[in-house]
Amino acid sequence: MKLSDLEGDIDGPSEFLNRPVSQDLILELLNHAVWAPNDELREPWRFIFADNKNGDIMQGLQEQAPAYLLVLVKEEADQHKREEDFAAACCLIQNFRLLAHEQSLGVRCTLHEWMYDPSRTEMFGVLSNERIAAVLELGYGANQSKGKTEFPETDLHFELL
Amino acid sequence: MSLAELIRARRSIRKYNSTPVDQELVVELLRKAKRLQPFVEAGSWRVVYAGTSEARKRLVDCMLEQLSQSRLGKLIPGKLLDIFKKRFTDIPAHVIVMSTIGPDRLTNDRNYAAACGMMQSFQLMGWEHGLGMLWDSESMMLHEGFFKGIGLRENERFVGILHIGYYEKAPKSRKRTPAEQKWAVLREQSI
Repeated sequence: MKLSDLEGDIDGPSEFLNRPVSQDLILELLNHAVWAPNDELREPWRFIFADNKNGDIMQGLQEQAPAYLLVLVKEEADQHKREEDFAAACCLIQNFRLLAHEQSLGVRCTLHEWMYDPSRTEMFGVLSNERIAAVLELGYGANQSKGKTEFPETDLHFELL
Repeated sequence: MSLAELIRARRSIRKYNSTPVDQELVVELLRKAKRLQPFVEAGSWRVVYAGTSEARKRLVDCMLEQLSQSRLGKLIPGKLLDIFKKRFTDIPAHVIVMSTIGPDRLTNDRNYAAACGMMQSFQLMGWEHGLGMLWDSESMMLHEGFFKGIGLRENERFVGILHIGYYEKAPKSRKRTPAEQKWAVLREQSI
């Protein structure tokens, strides 16, 4: 199917089944997703995968999910580069969301206040010159939407120069 | 073409042919790209479009304003600057994206990230329609005259311009680092 024909929302389900998420699948999808545009081919990202077998790996910080993927972005000294790199990571995440949807893997892309707090992020192995671009909550939904759900149509803010 | 193939095939396009870009198509693809974003507050980003030759000329003028007034720009012979200008003015269409600045860093980042995700979907869907794009955020153009020219509001942040057009030839790919080399696994006992 063409991406342009994909209708409806690709948001992850509100609840995940108790079904594990394969690391190999995530790596396979990431190896496509890394073809995101990024300035000077800096490839500013890094990934931390957290299997949540016991169900408490990110308790109090994130919603329950069978697995999490932390997408990290290197923090350059130059502010402009930092912005470009964050944008590149966002493009990679978008690729990943689309690819996962095709595999019926649910992705909830989250950004929370705790991700700015180094005392918390370092517990997960985030280095001092990195930030979290997003934490992806991964899992399979009971009724994986294949574009059938209704979604509120909001206006496109489009103006002419 | 599968989704994975599409993602891997897309290139940044810097050289466009003169085939005009249909504004209706751009709007349709932007709408579709918007629907693929997770729910964020309505009005978290906005698009300004330059598609007529008049609008394109105005845009290029404000893009190059800083350069032509800089010391470097004054060293560039007028003719060369004109050629440079023409190269940009000949690009059939430009989508300018700005995101809304929220009351805190989290809202800012969420809005900015939503705009970026939308732009990536838009680029991919454009590629399916034969459209090539370049995401331009060149620091040389980021100055007050430019922001004023594109109508950036006080509560907005510039995300990028997508230059858009049909192309003859896509550049070769440049190898990516395998994800395995940028990968770590967190074990529960390690926390």
